[in-house]
Amino acid sequence: MFAAKQSDLTPAQRAHIRRTLWLLLAYAVVLPPLVWLQAHRHVGHTLSLLMAVAASLPLLGIFASWGRYLSDERDEYHQALTLRRIAIATNTTMGAAVVWGFLQAFGVMPLFETYWIPFIWVVMQGAFGCIAVLSRGRAGA
Amino acid sequence: MSMNPAMNRYNWRVIWLSLVYAAFLLTAVYCFKHQLLHGVIAYVAAILPALPIIGIFGAMGRYLLEEEDEYVRMLMVRQSLWASGFALSVATIWGFLESFNLVEHVDAYSVAIVWFVGLGVGSLMNKLTLGASVKC
Repeated sequence: MFAAKQSDLTPAQRAHIRRTLWLLLAYAVVLPPLVWLQAHRHVGHTLSLLMAVAASLPLLGIFASWGRYLSDERDEYHQALTLRRIAIATNTTMGAAVVWGFLQAFGVMPLFETYWIPFIWVVMQGAFGCIAVLSRGRAGA
Repeated sequence: MSMNPAMNRYNWRVIWLSLVYAAFLLTAVYCFKHQLLHGVIAYVAAILPALPIIGIFGAMGRYLLEEEDEYVRMLMVRQSLWASGFALSVATIWGFLESFNLVEHVDAYSVAIVWFVGLGVGSLMNKLTLGASVKC
């Protein structure tokens, strides 16, 4: 079934998925030691700065991969669908950030690290991907 | 590039929403400063200034639907994509800097402000790569 689903993908989609999986793997490898170091060792300012940037890089790579996918995709229908998805995910994410931000500003909700905002965006993209696979499976059944 | 009707409508929507935002924000700040709000009402008052900002994102979406000039629409889509990539990247880096105790926490709406700054980045990228940009 998975092989059949893979054959439905355009070359640009396959390349994007491959890049994203590698970047997620890099993220999973890089993050735990950095968190452990920060929690258990006294780390200097410069090293902390480098660690923070290193932890960010795989996620930045994922955003760049979306951009690359959009420029590589030759199928206009898929490109339009992806643009629509990105627009919905971005508007929802920014909406959540603005609502939560004002709740924080007026002291009714706690502050949190801003990387949770891109996390919402990435989760939404994943959810859209799952919905697309499921609906394709249903259409094929 | 001259302003077309869709862009004109977009600008008017943004102006109205900005006025509503200013009214909601000033009212909320006054009420919270004088501790006039409690319980559920406090949550509602805190959320009210967020709604016009969400409306501006909606206005941008509506503009993209209404824009009939495909080239201008493509420029605006590219600009928005740059803005999204820029805002999400800044939020990611800032989040890890917060996590490693290098910077202070900021309110989450700052990311939306960065997104609007990102529109400027997108405009610049359009100018550099395509030699044209949309003037709002």
